[in-house]
Amino acid sequence: MARLKYRPLNLGRWLVWGGTALLMILLPQILTAGFTLTLLSQIGVGIIFALSYNMLLGQGGMLSFGHAVYSGMGAYFTVHALNLISKGAFYFPVTLTPLIGGVAGAFFGVIFGYVTTKKSGTTFAMISLGIGEMVAACSLMFAGFFGGEAGISTNRVIGEAFLGISYGPSIQVYYLIVGWALICMVAMFAWTQTPLGRMANAVRDNPERAEFVGYDTHMVRFLTLVISGFFAGIAGGLSCINYEIVTAENVGALRSAGVLIATFIGGAGFFFGPIIGSIVFFTMVTAIGSITQAWAFYLGLLFLVIVLYAPGGFASLIAMHVPVIKARLMRRLWLPYSAALATGIALLAGLVSVVEMTYHFSTEAGANPNMKLFGLAFNVTHAAPWAVASALLVGGFIISRFAWNLVGRTWADIVHILQEQSA
Amino acid sequence: MSTAIELKGITKSFGNTAIIRGVNLAIPRGERHAIIGPNGAGKSTLFNLISGRYPVTQGEILLNGEVVTGLKPFQINRKGLSRSFQITNIFPRMSVFENIRCAVLWTLGYKYSFWHRLGGLKDANLRTEEVMESIGLKARRDTLAGVLSYAEQRALEIGITIAGGAGVILLDEPTAGMSRTETADAVELIRKVSQGKTLIMVEHDMGVVFDLADRISVLVYGEVIASDKPENIRGNPAVQEAYLGTEAH
Ligand SMILES: Nc1ncnc2c1ncn2[C@@H]1O[C@H](COP(=O)(O)OP(=O)(O)O)[C@@H](O)[C@H]1O
Ligand SMILES: [Mg+2]
Repeated sequence: MARLKYRPLNLGRWLVWGGTALLMILLPQILTAGFTLTLLSQIGVGIIFALSYNMLLGQGGMLSFGHAVYSGMGAYFTVHALNLISKGAFYFPVTLTPLIGGVAGAFFGVIFGYVTTKKSGTTFAMISLGIGEMVAACSLMFAGFFGGEAGISTNRVIGEAFLGISYGPSIQVYYLIVGWALICMVAMFAWTQTPLGRMANAVRDNPERAEFVGYDTHMVRFLTLVISGFFAGIAGGLSCINYEIVTAENVGALRSAGVLIATFIGGAGFFFGPIIGSIVFFTMVTAIGSITQAWAFYLGLLFLVIVLYAPGGFASLIAMHVPVIKARLMRRLWLPYSAALATGIALLAGLVSVVEMTYHFSTEAGANPNMKLFGLAFNVTHAAPWAVASALLVGGFIISRFAWNLVGRTWADIVHILQEQSA
Repeated sequence: MSTAIELKGITKSFGNTAIIRGVNLAIPRGERHAIIGPNGAGKSTLFNLISGRYPVTQGEILLNGEVVTGLKPFQINRKGLSRSFQITNIFPRMSVFENIRCAVLWTLGYKYSFWHRLGGLKDANLRTEEVMESIGLKARRDTLAGVLSYAEQRALEIGITIAGGAGVILLDEPTAGMSRTETADAVELIRKVSQGKTLIMVEHDMGVVFDLADRISVLVYGEVIASDKPENIRGNPAVQEAYLGTEAH
């Protein structure tokens, strides 16, 4: 159709997409820590999942507590499909199996979506929670399909390697994920620029008015949920290929909460927010998780800080600097920001020390009171390390306040200047 | 079948209170019809019934000869009726352009499409520009609707209402809260956009009413006590007693 044609050359957009693609392709070559590939694969899948979630939360104004249902069902259908393919029941290229997950996700979107999307707001949130619980309960009831406690395992290496691609090595799976992630990112961005995408915004902002310009708000929400379920299902399919196992966790409340947190941290108000959110979220889960048991505590704390002080997420923090950069006022911020960073590091060091020492003290102090932190070895039952840590925490907090006051005042000045310029 | 809107014995109660008490009214196609009446008479409620926002308690509403009682707002809108609101009802987080474009998409047949790119919809974008031009908000194209001035928001409210090209237009107090010059502009705007359409408007400003309306209905305590040409309404003693006498000093 002629209307599908894109603007001939939108240089900025091409640069952003091209840069993203290049970065995703090159990253495994640049970063070589042990968990890098695991982490990057998680982030890739997470980006698709979080963007699909944001079709609901950010674009459609639907706060879902059960989005893992769609990715999880996508994962289960993919795992069964893979097992059938390897038994020779039918032929289907492994590369395309995430599509099976997508169709399954969309299918369950149709099944559950109709009731869920009747209302938005609290009603939607509560029903999504209920459906999530129902499906999680089903996973224990129908052990044949869900595999009970052990889940369903599979083998992603099926048949002969094609052009050397067998999906045996995890780097090949990573590039499969990158390919799908890029396609899904572009597709979901394109969706925001369609009539349905725009009306989803309209229904989010003012459902009543949308009804008076001819739109059935229920239908808009329903279709949005089905499409979101499709992309969530693709993410589920990819996670199935990545781990070669699907368990009840895939449809569980923890997974649903995770995508909410990732999306919120990144920022639901911007298309790229959930992308940042996934990067931050999985870095905390996997990279920080590989260093300390307390990763969930730090993640929770970060979530809390974002909700309280930057409810628009990282994306809004970035976006608020764009007019400042354009007005060439960034130089005013460097000093306050450096002060905030330096004092923030002191505060964070104090906080991390107290948290880590508390963890160590309460879990293994009996067996081994010695621990290492920031390269220093000490005995956690002695008073001195506690004194230092508390001093850092309290002192860091107090000087941080000064730094933040400075940041606040500078921002007030900048906002004032920007307002005068625009007036 | 030249009647655009016909109300047959419409009543509406909230709880035990009857707000609309047996309204019969027929408005021919192409007429500019004003509904006047004291505050709380039920004018907005009547609009809410006609446009499907509230269900009627009793009676029947016909739009172009077709029964529309019990239909949802979007269904009635698709049959060619569009309305504005007394309290501004726009998409505050969207630009003026996006506000109007949302209002043209359905009639132009794009419905729930996720296979068209908005930027490439020539007809929708052209129509949007046209509407912005006619409501005088072209210069505010990319401004967020939420930060427009009050008068601009009222103009946008009318723009959203007429953008879809509905044949029957309901305007609920379009000039309320406007200054004299803003009101004059609004009257010209309404005259222009209601050309060749059926217009029903609730209006407090008698100048506006006598200027625009072909016919006037007076609603008092949920009942139409008179429905006639402006000159006859002016001379109607019941109307003067119930309404004009107190309002227009
Ligand atoms: N949703 C509602 N619930 C209860 N009472 C209502 C509702 N809407 C309007 N009313 C009452 O109906 C009466 C008429 O209101 P309205 O139609 O807004 O009058 P107006 O003629 O000033 O537009 C008022 O007394 C109002 O309180
Ligand atoms: Mg009113």
